[in-house]
Amino acid sequence: MKKINLDTPVVESREQRLGTIIAWDGKASELSKESAYGRGSCGSGCGDKARRLCELQGPFTQGSVCSEQMVECQAGNVRDAVLIQHSPIGCGAGQVIYNSIYRNGLAMRNLPVENLRLICTNLQESDMVFGGVDKLEQSIRDAWERNHPKAIFIGTSCATGIIGDDIDSVASRLEAELQIPVIPLHCEGFKSKHWSTGFDATQHGIVRQIVRKNPKKQEDLVNVINLWGSDVFTPMLAELGLRVNYVVDMATVEDLEQLSEAAATVGFCHTLSSYLGAALEQQFGVPEIKAPQPYGFAGTDAWIRELARVTHREELAEAYIAKEHERVKPQLEELRKQLKGKKGYVATGSAYAHGLIAVLRELGIEVDGSLVFHHDPIYDSQDPRQDSLSHLVDNYGDVPSFSVSNRQQYQFYGLLQRVKPDFILIRHNGLAPLASRLGIPAAPLGDEHHALGYQGMLNLGETILEILAHKKFHEDLAAHTRLPYKREWLDQKDPFILARQNNSLHTEE
Amino acid sequence: MSINEEKNIRKTNSIQQIRYVCAIAAMHSASAIPRVIPITHCGPGCADKQFMNVAFYNGFQGGGYGGGAVVPSTNATEKEVVFGGAERLRELIASSLTILDADLFVVLTGCISDLVGDDVGSVVKEFQTQGVPIVFAETGGFKGNNFTGHELVTRAIIDQYVGDYEGPRERASVNVWSLLPYHNTFWRGDLTEIKRILEGIGLKVNILFGHESQGVSEWRDIPKAQFNLVLSPWLGLQTAKHLEQKYGQPYLHVPVIPIGAKETSAFLRKVTDFAGLDTAKAESFIEKEEATYYRYLEDFSDFYAEYWWGLPAKFVVVGDSAYNLALTKFLVNQLGVIPGKQIITENPPEEFREGIREQYRTIAEDVSTNVEFEEDSYIIHQLIRKTHFGHKPPIIFGTTWERDLAKELKTSIVEVGFPTSYEVVLSRSYIGYRGALTLLEKIYTTTVGASA
Repeated sequence: MKKINLDTPVVESREQRLGTIIAWDGKASELSKESAYGRGSCGSGCGDKARRLCELQGPFTQGSVCSEQMVECQAGNVRDAVLIQHSPIGCGAGQVIYNSIYRNGLAMRNLPVENLRLICTNLQESDMVFGGVDKLEQSIRDAWERNHPKAIFIGTSCATGIIGDDIDSVASRLEAELQIPVIPLHCEGFKSKHWSTGFDATQHGIVRQIVRKNPKKQEDLVNVINLWGSDVFTPMLAELGLRVNYVVDMATVEDLEQLSEAAATVGFCHTLSSYLGAALEQQFGVPEIKAPQPYGFAGTDAWIRELARVTHREELAEAYIAKEHERVKPQLEELRKQLKGKKGYVATGSAYAHGLIAVLRELGIEVDGSLVFHHDPIYDSQDPRQDSLSHLVDNYGDVPSFSVSNRQQYQFYGLLQRVKPDFILIRHNGLAPLASRLGIPAAPLGDEHHALGYQGMLNLGETILEILAHKKFHEDLAAHTRLPYKREWLDQKDPFILARQNNSLHTEE
Repeated sequence: MSINEEKNIRKTNSIQQIRYVCAIAAMHSASAIPRVIPITHCGPGCADKQFMNVAFYNGFQGGGYGGGAVVPSTNATEKEVVFGGAERLRELIASSLTILDADLFVVLTGCISDLVGDDVGSVVKEFQTQGVPIVFAETGGFKGNNFTGHELVTRAIIDQYVGDYEGPRERASVNVWSLLPYHNTFWRGDLTEIKRILEGIGLKVNILFGHESQGVSEWRDIPKAQFNLVLSPWLGLQTAKHLEQKYGQPYLHVPVIPIGAKETSAFLRKVTDFAGLDTAKAESFIEKEEATYYRYLEDFSDFYAEYWWGLPAKFVVVGDSAYNLALTKFLVNQLGVIPGKQIITENPPEEFREGIREQYRTIAEDVSTNVEFEEDSYIIHQLIRKTHFGHKPPIIFGTTWERDLAKELKTSIVEVGFPTSYEVVLSRSYIGYRGALTLLEKIYTTTVGASA
């Protein structure tokens, strides 16, 4: 059976494919063990692919994020494409944030700064009754006339999912007429408990309808699946005589077309790259690099060696590794001295957190606790060499308080009390404001490549020193602010108690 | 005069680069009231989406006490779509009461609940009958925009929480219905200035939203006020009419939010007259404010009269009717800048549009201009491109969406409306006496700052 099913326009959700969970609490080593990768599983119910983990489910939840948002921030940031949001106007709200991120990303990558191109079909109450496909067709035509894009993506919404608009038919009809890919991306928010399914939905559409089906191999081209991060891969891969093909954000449709021609696929985070990496390997034989993520010495060494092995550049790799170790180590020693005794907490997306914790430990920073927004027991390749959590535990030791908490601020309070960190590392919004009100500064890693590779260890170390200085601000604020949580909740030792004790704050006698 | 070639531009259902969001974004109208927390019954992305776009990448205003990532959400899944979400909402409300410390909860529904037909009213009623301070509004995204949602939430609080009132009214007190919280990037500072000047002429002011509001106690005082003041072209009129019916409370509608001494003093005199306030007291406040204002304007006049390198002569305003009209009035009457193009973007209900048009036709005694209503930025930008502005481009008062257009036209932009992603806004106000001076600083710092 194929790992990735590209036969239908609808992507299989993360929970279906990988057994993704969004709530768990324990030690990193336990989660790693329970997550299988051949280490055994929880027994009954483990399907073909997904491992089933025990998940904590409580009554209280704060606003999460949806798959459609991830479609916006991927398909909506392809430079010569248009994304149509087939939805009421509220889904269109996301145009604002992803425009700002797109603009700043373009600026950071030295590309011409411009507004993104997203069109909302602006569905009304009457469309809920009579259907919205005519409006979808109109918006596709508008997109074509206005922008002459090289591809048009269509993102669905909860509303269109429920009323059952036949988006696929409109898309294939207009694709034939306009002679460009018109790609439905099924990303209704309610269909997956974790937003990362939206990454997969976008990548699914790209592989099905944009990627060249008869590739001419480019033996020095490497697909880098990333977001808007600064260009750290070009100089790094140039050391191996390799060229970079960044996707999906800020890529052109041409960049997406040549995905099938590359010599290998890498990423900065398995959460993001899992689906596309596996799909390209399955469909076009583009090898996905099966290695730990490139964080810390252990991860970066292994990652470069594997990339070099697959692209036949072993000697260049060893020279680069030796050179970088020599360059970085003395500076790292200096940073370690300055950071001695500091405690950090990572609160980011899943696989990315595994990498960041490794870097913190390289910097000599204590990491007694961390949280991830979700956990994938396995990635799409199903290859144990990508088991990033085990890589972390095996190479850098356990994390005693390791939680899966889907951006739930009310739990974050208690999680911080357990370990009292000096700072936190974040990417997504929602948690840092709470930390701030407790006097704890956050380093928001807007540039996702900041901590990557050898230089990344130095970058992150310096950033931490900078944000530790912010402590003055946060401590002052903490003394003059009130949290919106009840004392009874703040005094609670277990942030997951409502899930564990049948919705009660009090231990049953 | 402006020459338009609008015939070539065809309006469709498409909205490229949005300028308003959906009704559930009125969760911000709830969290704009101190110690009030919204509970959202919707898909997993709705609350985050509205917050990050309306309150974060729009002046980086922040979520405050009860907004942002704090907001409870059912994060509806397939289960709630297929079997209904009433039970899930019930457990979310119950657990919110355990965890969150609020004076009032406001339940808002999204598309999912409104499409599958959850009986949210019954669920909320169970809590209301137990004495829990909680109300609900059906704000499914397809039902209207966040302006509509704002009036729904306002009405929900009035009808379900404030309730009936038979007692006496307090003379010289007012409820203010004005800017849309958070959507208007400068609402907090502006409401503060509105409260300050109304207090200056002797009113007790229920400002209702923002840091100057007393929270739910102020809302409970709504029926006691002498009158309602609707200070906006149309938003709040529905609420005022409802209050007139419900409590027999009169209202004063002033469509132009005042910017600068001339407009602000006229506004205060109108309110003084309507409310029957002590004229002498009001005039003494106006005199004092004007004295300060005009000394600063005098200082500014050296620059305005003598600056070598050219200042904008024409302007374009793209934005919500409230700021659009207020800015146009100020720019024309206080600064003598020539109106180039005014486009209102929040889709005001048809019934109010003629009244708004009339305001532009009579913008000054000797100046008449027109206004267009358009929501799709592609069309808006085409309209501006096709307008002939003469020998130099107009300064643009707009949003982040106009940044590229400003570059293209080789002019400057002042971001004044949603979305304003390249300004950090805390207490800044652009209205009244004090805000007008800040606005002058902003406009001409932008101009001078870009000159070399």
